[in-house]
Amino acid sequence: MTAQRTAPTEPKVLARAEWPAGDDDTLPRIAGFVVSDFNPLVAEVAERCLRAYYGTPPAPGDRGARTGVVLASVRGDVTTADTVAEALRAGRRVPPLLFFQSNPNAVVGHVTSRWGLAGPVVCTSPFGDPLADGVAVAELLIGDGAAAEVLVIAADLATDGDDRDFAVAVLVTGNTTAER
Amino acid sequence: MADPGTRSASARGTREPVVVSGIAVRSAAGSGPAALLARVCAGDAAFEPVTRFDTAQRRTTVAATMPGDPVLVDELAAVIEDACAEARLDPDPRADTPMLLAAHADRTNRATADVLARRTGLRTPARTYTAACVAATSAAADAATMIAAGRIDRAVVAAGYLVDPDTFALFDAGRTLARDGHVRPFSTGRQGMLLGDAAVAVVLESAAGAERRHVPSLARLAGWGRSGDAYHVCQPRPDGTGLARAIDAAIAQAGVAPAQIGYVNANGTGTVYSDRAESAALHRALGPDVRRIPVSSTKSVHGHALEASGLLELVLTVLALRAGRLPVNAGYLGPDDACELDVVVDEERATDTRYALTINAAFGGANTALLVGAP
Repeated sequence: MTAQRTAPTEPKVLARAEWPAGDDDTLPRIAGFVVSDFNPLVAEVAERCLRAYYGTPPAPGDRGARTGVVLASVRGDVTTADTVAEALRAGRRVPPLLFFQSNPNAVVGHVTSRWGLAGPVVCTSPFGDPLADGVAVAELLIGDGAAAEVLVIAADLATDGDDRDFAVAVLVTGNTTAER
Repeated sequence: MADPGTRSASARGTREPVVVSGIAVRSAAGSGPAALLARVCAGDAAFEPVTRFDTAQRRTTVAATMPGDPVLVDELAAVIEDACAEARLDPDPRADTPMLLAAHADRTNRATADVLARRTGLRTPARTYTAACVAATSAAADAATMIAAGRIDRAVVAAGYLVDPDTFALFDAGRTLARDGHVRPFSTGRQGMLLGDAAVAVVLESAAGAERRHVPSLARLAGWGRSGDAYHVCQPRPDGTGLARAIDAAIAQAGVAPAQIGYVNANGTGTVYSDRAESAALHRALGPDVRRIPVSSTKSVHGHALEASGLLELVLTVLALRAGRLPVNAGYLGPDDACELDVVVDEERATDTRYALTINAAFGGANTALLVGAP
């Protein structure tokens, strides 16, 4: 038998956004999320990408219902994790709001409820290029019929070796004839 | 080297059937499938005072923890070895077998994956799935998708969570942990969830590949579905429509009717609003059949293993189907009018059903449903 692997169809990019968009770019705060810039970073780059394609929220019902979200972050919300660890070391109370933002799904819930995106939600810690890996996960969702479009977000807070926080988002579709 | 078992199912416009060919588990409610199944069928909850770290400042002080101070990477390596042994995955096929991991998002994800690949001989994963309570089922669904499409012939899905002081403090601060020390899914008087250790591994494989290797199929992964609520940061959509769509998709993919389903391993966290939303979803997706389908949440025995929970419950669903034994929903005090389900209480039930469903829901409105079929 001849070995044969099926190459996935590469999704088409409908829209793209990055944060920061310039040296003086800022992150708007979002209600209910505290301490860390991770969640505002994810929310803002998602907002920019979706606005670039849809204008104002929500997405049209038939599109939003079939749009999934993939959030890829190598290190995740290290600020929230470190804040909790430090509170425990110091014997201080852990702020209850940190519970809600302690996993990456929470901010995705903020984005999906605002924009009416009711497809699958997948969060990952990728080991290769975060955006490329996020798109690879999106390909699986589209190829399986679980979503027609996927908002892929790659976001990481700055580490000592980075200049600043960085995030990129792309809205992709399996429909290669879709209009930009 | 190309795997000689790999082929192009999607190119033929067909889905390659997916089977479970190996399972392994370690948890406070039993290490090894037989011990775990016996305990959940007895409804013998594994919650004890936590000794692994200090809980003096917490509102709740119990969890389902394994003895001693287990190390996640060691537990994962052990269950992967056991699952591979059951699936007769010797070193040669392992080198071309991808590993999909689910665990909490933290700085150690990459190191854990590298160590596991080195120790087990499996291919280094591309990522760790971190989507909270649907992390493991998302990994399983992606593995199944790749197998069904003929992109790979098999995969090892592994997931682990060990109760830790930081997560315990967070859930305690969020007032989600049951102060009475019991998880009582769908019951009146339920107070919330409790955490539990688990390390789980499952070998998923194409049916044809398993047959070629003369490996028995433990069960079929007949369907899988995923959806989002588009509703809230952390609460489920109360009418259950999001989760119902995941269930609908799994059932449709399997090509079965609700009348053929004979058991639901529920998400059943024991949280007031979550259990109500889940009950609404089951009614919406299964229709009138929901009234005769036995339901239990085994979290009432093994606790909530967070990122590993979905894989633990998939294993239990496979075990229940194979043994014809339906686990008890422990801690049940009486019906909640908003959760009108046929909950398995007091003692296990016998079944000859060929299909069972396991469902999970997470923060951010993420939902998954896996439909398991008898081989």
